[in-house]
Amino acid sequence: MNDATAARRGAGLPAAAPIVGRRRFLQIALVLPAAATVLGGCGGQDRRADRPDPLIALADAARADAALAAAAIAAAPALATRIDPLREARIEHAAAFDAEVVRMGGVPGTAVSPAATAAAPPPTGTAAPPVTLARVREAVAASQVGAAELVENLPAERVGLVASVAACCATYAALLT
Amino acid sequence: MSGGAARLDDVAVGALQDVLGAEHAALWSYALAVAFIAPDQVAAARTDAAAHRELRAQIEITLTQLGQRPVSAQPAYTTPQPVTDAASAAGLLVTAETDAAAAWRSVLERSTDRALRRAGLKALTETAARCARWRAVVGTRPAVPVFPGRP
Repeated sequence: MNDATAARRGAGLPAAAPIVGRRRFLQIALVLPAAATVLGGCGGQDRRADRPDPLIALADAARADAALAAAAIAAAPALATRIDPLREARIEHAAAFDAEVVRMGGVPGTAVSPAATAAAPPPTGTAAPPVTLARVREAVAASQVGAAELVENLPAERVGLVASVAACCATYAALLT
Repeated sequence: MSGGAARLDDVAVGALQDVLGAEHAALWSYALAVAFIAPDQVAAARTDAAAHRELRAQIEITLTQLGQRPVSAQPAYTTPQPVTDAASAAGLLVTAETDAAAAWRSVLERSTDRALRRAGLKALTETAARCARWRAVVGTRPAVPVFPGRP
């Protein structure tokens, strides 16, 4: 069995999967009683009235991942070829999230510019341990989860961006082992 | 089953038909590419093709349960460039996975069904991983697409 199949088996639809087996995840997906909650629950405007835009947190996570990646490269320059693409991707993710937050009339989170993030020295004190590849991987895996958790309920015009970022982070989390 | 199936509107059904079309094209692409791909990539290509075959079957079952006729595969597809060697074969697989990612992302954007969105995200994520592998083979940088599925 390949990784993709294993991932489908492991991650899909926990309520239904044990009953029906892995080949049926998509058809089961369609018959779960979900439509009512979505139709009423995905209204972005209502949610934003009393909560901060959830994409602000995703942008902050992207900036934090980029800074962490930069710190890991500073600690071990040989890792640059593996980690720098992630750092650049997370800077792009942060910019895309910020733009979406602004588009919806919000104010982006901590305004670290991409250039500043790229040039930032490792945010570690002299006594702090160096940032390792494993720590970068854990961070990007956590970012994947944070983005994926939003996908079920986001409005249509935002779900694609968040899902793409979740997929990108998942791929890096799998590669940085 | 039909009761649940009726919950998907025409837009979501259209998205499923489109992604089925992309999966048909991906399978055709893998069948062609395997004949040219580097020997050490053949096993990976077969594994990826099997994943697409499973996805295709699941989409077809779903559409059938919705009372829809699943779209058929085309007899052949136009490749962006002629497939004549290992590099162009891997390039075709990059194209196939890129197109599949776009179709899966579109499923997310054209459906509000939470379970379908979960399934779509899973498929998008798996497609991104396959795409990254073939982009690495081709030498595209970065290997991992920054926004998988973005048009």
